[in-house]
Amino acid sequence: ATGTDQVVGLGLVAVSLIIFTYYTVWVILLPFIDSQHVIHKYFLPQAYAVAIPLAAGLLLLLFV
Amino acid sequence: VKTAATSLPGASRGLQLPEGRAAAEHEPWRIPNADVGAVRRREDAGRGVTMTKLAQWLWGLALLGSTWAALTMGALGLELPSSCREVLWSLPAYLLVSAGCYALGTVGYRVATFHDCEDAARELQSQIQEARADLARRGMRF
Repeated sequence: ATGTDQVVGLGLVAVSLIIFTYYTVWVILLPFIDSQHVIHKYFLPQAYAVAIPLAAGLLLLLFV
Repeated sequence: VKTAATSLPGASRGLQLPEGRAAAEHEPWRIPNADVGAVRRREDAGRGVTMTKLAQWLWGLALLGSTWAALTMGALGLELPSSCREVLWSLPAYLLVSAGCYALGTVGYRVATFHDCEDAARELQSQIQEARADLARRGMRF
């Protein structure tokens, strides 16, 4: 693949990796980290970890 | 006495069993010279032999779902720490999101590494132009 194909493809890979690592840290690692740690500042409350994908999925289903 | 050995297709032709003794009496599980496949095929004929992929997926999902439900509702009587319970509660959403990410990443990777044949594409385009010119010359209107 050349040109824009490569850019788009690698961009998709990067986006999916970013989303995956962020979500993994959010759902799997944060519950085990002490609630006073500074890292919690970068993540929304845990309830959003289920609500946001659910809302996005519903939107996808309704508009596709 | 109707035994497994005598009810098989070959039994009526009077096959000679290699053992001298009556296998059905001493070792009923051993059926010499038997077409065991025939027995299985007869038993399965009513049901169908294989399970479809959809059925397999549904089975797997049902198993995982019931395990998750049992664990979250404490039906198994395990006292999990609250952090484990939090992770468990979000597990289905996590699996869905990670499956979606995997799909997206695979699509992107395949798009990026697709083998284009640029020479063949160019050749094909020039051949199309040739064909159009030829047909136009012979009177066909596009």
